[in-house]
Amino acid sequence: MEQQAIIEANDPGTAVVAGSNVGKTFANGTVVALDNAEFTIPKGKFVSLVGPSGCGKSTLLRLIAGLIAPTSGHLHVHGTQVAGPRQDVAMMFQRATLLEWRTAIENVLLPTEIAGNVEDADRERAMELLHLVGLGDFAFSFPAQLSGGMQQRVALARLLQTGADVILLDEPFGALDEFTRERLNVELLRIVAEVGATTVFVTHNIAEAIFLADEVYVMTPRPGRIAKVIDVPLERPRELAIQTSPEFNHLVDEARDVLGAH
Amino acid sequence: MMDPPKSNRPNALWLMSRFAPHLALFGVLIIIWELLVRTGVITTIMIPKPSSIGASIIDLYFVSGTIWPHFFITLTEAVLGFCIGAAIAIALAVGSSLSDPFRRYVMPYAIVMNVTPGIALTPVIIAWFGFGMGSKIALAAVISFFPIFVNTLTGLMQVDNEREELFTSLGANRFQIFTRLRVPAALPLLFAGLKIGLTTALIGAVVAEFAQATAGVGVLMNRFSFQLNMGASLATLLSMTLIGLILFYSMEFLDDRLVFWRREERREAVSRKRARAWKRRAETSGRTR
Ligand SMILES: Nc1ncnc2c1ncn2[C@@H]1O[C@H](COP(=O)(O)OP(=O)(O)OP(=O)(O)O)[C@@H](O)[C@H]1O
Ligand SMILES: [Mg+2]
Repeated sequence: MEQQAIIEANDPGTAVVAGSNVGKTFANGTVVALDNAEFTIPKGKFVSLVGPSGCGKSTLLRLIAGLIAPTSGHLHVHGTQVAGPRQDVAMMFQRATLLEWRTAIENVLLPTEIAGNVEDADRERAMELLHLVGLGDFAFSFPAQLSGGMQQRVALARLLQTGADVILLDEPFGALDEFTRERLNVELLRIVAEVGATTVFVTHNIAEAIFLADEVYVMTPRPGRIAKVIDVPLERPRELAIQTSPEFNHLVDEARDVLGAH
Repeated sequence: MMDPPKSNRPNALWLMSRFAPHLALFGVLIIIWELLVRTGVITTIMIPKPSSIGASIIDLYFVSGTIWPHFFITLTEAVLGFCIGAAIAIALAVGSSLSDPFRRYVMPYAIVMNVTPGIALTPVIIAWFGFGMGSKIALAAVISFFPIFVNTLTGLMQVDNEREELFTSLGANRFQIFTRLRVPAALPLLFAGLKIGLTTALIGAVVAEFAQATAGVGVLMNRFSFQLNMGASLATLLSMTLIGLILFYSMEFLDDRLVFWRREERREAVSRKRARAWKRRAETSGRTR
């Protein structure tokens, strides 16, 4: 009941994802992957998690996704406690994890198939989503016929097909070249705004984290911690060019200070 | 060597230039062999002249047709034995991949079966199943079992953690993960096992025929060898090669159809087919609405 009070104090009306005292240890408590995380993410906000390898970014994401259970504390999504994978939360990985025996459109339809029967409306929606990610002409291509960037777009369309409004992205474009990554980031912002999703985005790159987010959680390792939350007041839509502005660089320095001091 | 022409189907001219050297070499070898036998360097008792093998082929396959009933008996034995062996192997592999205790119980028997030379079971199997086709089918099944079992199990046990996590995050149950992820991912290895198993099944059938049988190409070959009719004996051997080729390429064909995503041309063909099917469905559902 105590944590319930904390969540309500954090404004239950708009908080879509809320964690109170969330901790996760591995190896019988010897590895503290995440220690005492406190956070609330309001509806429609974009949060970036940034920090060095091993600071618990993926762990936090997988906790929110319900793929693993916390060893302490409580996690709520839309006001209900996370007790396993759920319909309103969807996750995307660094690898596209497409099924190579399915065409792009069949990959996008996978979530619908797992949830139940595929109707004509679902097929239409899947096709619209492929157009949304710019792959309308490649609906019937197999993954092996697509480039790495195109495969990630299919994975993004598949994620949107779930209809989830909480979107978790674990270094989704991390394996791609810088040009493709920047372009996809800009498209991601457009798409996320269009579907009105609440987003958590993991990256190693401070500039990328700031460019995308409303709030940046700067995390530090051993034990994994949310060391600081940096508010990003930059206006939207954002151009790639803002990355050279003084305000932007000030935010980068702020994040660097936290990570450097550790 | 010439490059294949750009069009998908090689033309006759290209094929000829590609295979002419091989045919020429084969012809030369046959002629040397024929000459060695005719000049008495090799005795005819041991090794027949190519021309007498040729004469036997013409007689056995085209004039008297003696070979065909035996051919189909051996083919049937190998195929039935393979089907039984494959069915048991796949069932046990599926069970073993789904349940750890089940696998721990099955594995020792499977390994013992593998390290025991299956061919050595021939006398026992003939004692159990008789001189007819039953014993040939049984031996074929026994020795084709293990390669299929091991390959299928290895395929089904491959785990891609990220993909499994994707399925879990989508709320998939164990059955859905099995049918939509594990089975398709295992198909390439399953077919590798089936191809080995099918060839092994033919060995089983023929060995059992050599041991004790009333019909089949093994019986026929035994008979010709005892008569020291080496030409006919080798002409019969050719039929086993023929059965082997038929079996191998039918499996190769199935592999190509079912595991279509590994070869570029097949991928493109299937991709076009799915696009057409999608369009057709969109049209019909549009009309009914
Ligand atoms: N399943 C697990 N078993 C044991 N230890 C784990 C497990 N998952 C994560 N850890 C440990 O927890 C810590 C945090 O891991 P996590 O994967 O969350 O880091 P990360 O910030 O995502 O790192 P990276 O940037 O390299 O992806 C690491 O020390 C890691 O070794
Ligand atoms: Mg990670």
